Amino acid sequence: MNRTEERTPLLKMQDITKEFSGVYALSGITLDLYPSEVHCLVGENGAGKSTLMKILSGAYVPGGGSIWMDGQVYKTLNPVLSKELGINIVYQENDLVPSMNVAENIYVGNEKTNSFGFVDFKAMVSETKRQMEELNIEIDPLVKIEDLSVSDQQFVKILKALSVEPRILIMDEPTSMFNVEDAAKVLELVRTIAARGIGIIYISHFLEEIRQIADRVTVIRDGAVINTYENPNRDIRISTMTRDMVGRPVDTFYQKEHHPIGDVMLEIRDLQLEKGSPRISFFVRSGEILGMAGMVGAGRTEIVRAITGADRRWGGEILINGTKVEIHNPEESIRHGFAHITEDRQELGLMLGGSVLENATIVGLGRKIKGFFVNIRKHPVFIQPLVEKLRIKVPDVWTEAVYLSGGNQQKVVLAKWLFAEQEIYIFDEPTRGIDVNAKAEFYKQMSALTKQGKCIIMISSDMPELISMSDRVLVIRDGAVRAELTGERITEQEIIKEALGGGKDEA
Amino acid sequence: MKHRKRFLKDQRILLALVILLIVAVVSIINPRFIAVKNLITIFQQISVIGILTMAMSMLLIGGGIDLSIGNIMVLSGVVMARVLGDGGSVMTAVALGVLVGIACGLLNGAVIAKSKCIPLIITLGTSQVFYGLALTISGGRIMSFGGAFNAIGKTRLFDVFPVMLFVLIFMVAVSYVLMNRTRFGRRIVAIGGNEKNAFLSGIHVIKYKILIYGIAGFFCSVAAIIFSARIDSITANAGAGYETSALTAAIIGGVTFDGGKGTISGAFLGCVLMGVISNAMNILQVETYIQTIITGGIIVSAVVLSNINNMKKK
Repeated sequence: MNRTEERTPLLKMQDITKEFSGVYALSGITLDLYPSEVHCLVGENGAGKSTLMKILSGAYVPGGGSIWMDGQVYKTLNPVLSKELGINIVYQENDLVPSMNVAENIYVGNEKTNSFGFVDFKAMVSETKRQMEELNIEIDPLVKIEDLSVSDQQFVKILKALSVEPRILIMDEPTSMFNVEDAAKVLELVRTIAARGIGIIYISHFLEEIRQIADRVTVIRDGAVINTYENPNRDIRISTMTRDMVGRPVDTFYQKEHHPIGDVMLEIRDLQLEKGSPRISFFVRSGEILGMAGMVGAGRTEIVRAITGADRRWGGEILINGTKVEIHNPEESIRHGFAHITEDRQELGLMLGGSVLENATIVGLGRKIKGFFVNIRKHPVFIQPLVEKLRIKVPDVWTEAVYLSGGNQQKVVLAKWLFAEQEIYIFDEPTRGIDVNAKAEFYKQMSALTKQGKCIIMISSDMPELISMSDRVLVIRDGAVRAELTGERITEQEIIKEALGGGKDEA
Repeated sequence: MKHRKRFLKDQRILLALVILLIVAVVSIINPRFIAVKNLITIFQQISVIGILTMAMSMLLIGGGIDLSIGNIMVLSGVVMARVLGDGGSVMTAVALGVLVGIACGLLNGAVIAKSKCIPLIITLGTSQVFYGLALTISGGRIMSFGGAFNAIGKTRLFDVFPVMLFVLIFMVAVSYVLMNRTRFGRRIVAIGGNEKNAFLSGIHVIKYKILIYGIAGFFCSVAAIIFSARIDSITANAGAGYETSALTAAIIGGVTFDGGKGTISGAFLGCVLMGVISNAMNILQVETYIQTIITGGIIVSAVVLSNINNMKKK
């Protein structure tokens, strides 16, 4: 890599500001990007990363500052101009058309045509194939998006962004949906793309990943640049980045307190999701956090959904405190004391158009708030204490959930289950895509729950979290429990080994 | 500051202002418009559509829709007329009519909740079924009520306020309390807001969906009583267009297709606005054909106006 100062930057953003109704989201950000550079942007949710990227894509008009590209100075961009300048974004959200195939998706809005002006499918497919070969991606261009795995869909999104031959590629958390193996592939892909001379702005919460890939790292906090680090030897310290992000050292990050573990609270016997699928048996004790590890798609979510009655199960018994219980739907599981913090908060855990209050009382209504007639104007009394306890940042409880950051939304989901005061808490990827402070709050609350003698099942793909928070770890592969790790054996190597399989006792 | 902004953004305030503006302007041109008698007439004119709008709004807020409400009303009305014609008492007629309304609603709800099909299409289909049944029962003829419902249609309290006005107000109040002040209603809102979330939060989605359609069916049968009382007769094709009018009034009032959003009071104001416009055009002697054009134009502008906030977002 050439030293950056000898070259002309692709892009310079100078003193960019942006305010939303009196609150500064960005207070003077300066950022530049060189050809072939991977410039990583880190910061908590709400720090201003997305706002800054939306200014680059032309979706937002900046309040002040200037954007320099190709010797031209722009006060503001718009989506069309931004595209013309060669800026393209791979969004976090899915923007693919499920019913179209891979090649069609890549060329949506940019269709190749033959000399008669008709769409030329052949050319699109062959061009897609060529691109894939170059980038070492193996996906059939004729497969429909809806038939692809989540990680393959992410690759298609990247290919789509590349099809317009951008000069600047912005990647917003490209690996958040991937398992370890595929995430490594994405990083490889990023290097290949950068080698073509494309400048890459890379946003991620995975600091380890950033250490491996970044040429430079810029840390943003509260809408301002805290530091920009060079990272030529791939040795930037993660603690340095976290300190800058949070504004204090995070030594007390994983607040795992060890509480005495009591009797078995929940026992699962011979759970079968479908006829002929593996039998699953395990237990969780009072005061215990049981980690569930495994690759994406290993079947962890399916197992807990079958337990809480969200999906049907073929067979098996559920025992709570030694007594067999019948659970056929979430309503019954809640009555038996289950709380299920689901994996996808926007899709499954919240009414986005509903207020914080409505969201937080949805389970408690009828359980904690009795009676047929209700008066929601009196409900803030119930929820305000939780808002303060969990430090949910909202003007008031009437704010709609859609306006909250990811971390605060996730806290609202937790608030709804804490309000219901359940006994068995299932957390499915509780801290995915949320900021460091919100994560710390989650760990604190988990510890508080176990201290009260409740039990927790935690599905997580975040290794440090899994290792430091769990008392025991079950490793799930292909829908079955493959290993139970305790004490010293709870290590990253051990978990990955079991999760990937290939052990000698396996067929 | 925050509260003031929310207050101004509230569609109901905007609607109320528009209604007042129209009333003021029309009254200046023709003072007869503001007379108490005419104001009461307006509410009389919207009594049927008002009750149907309540039904539609509750369904929309719960993430559903029912395009058969016009024909449920007609079927319920035709059944009442038939019972009366066959020598049944008013009580029997009303009881059977109401039962039919509730049954139609429950049927819609059961099919929609169990099959998980799009309610729009299902109710388009059941609407045909109900219409066909009404045709069969009535033999396609105008069915007279022989003054059986005059107590509701003609009576005026203090010689001023017609009874149907109170029925309308009562039904609006019932909807309001149901949706805002009961656990049932809050759960309907939750289902409309995000059905998967509601299910995972322990709400028996299927049960609640069937119930809310049943309640909507009940509202349709009450509308049928008012309808029959007003003109003392009913035909099988009298319900045509009521579902779209109810839908329009609800949407103008800030209820959305997405579910989970909107208020009963807003929907009612939407209904009042439509009534005021229609009455004003009559008073100003606008030609009927032109009235239709103007009504359509006003609907489009009202909906676009109310969506301005969303337009700014993208």
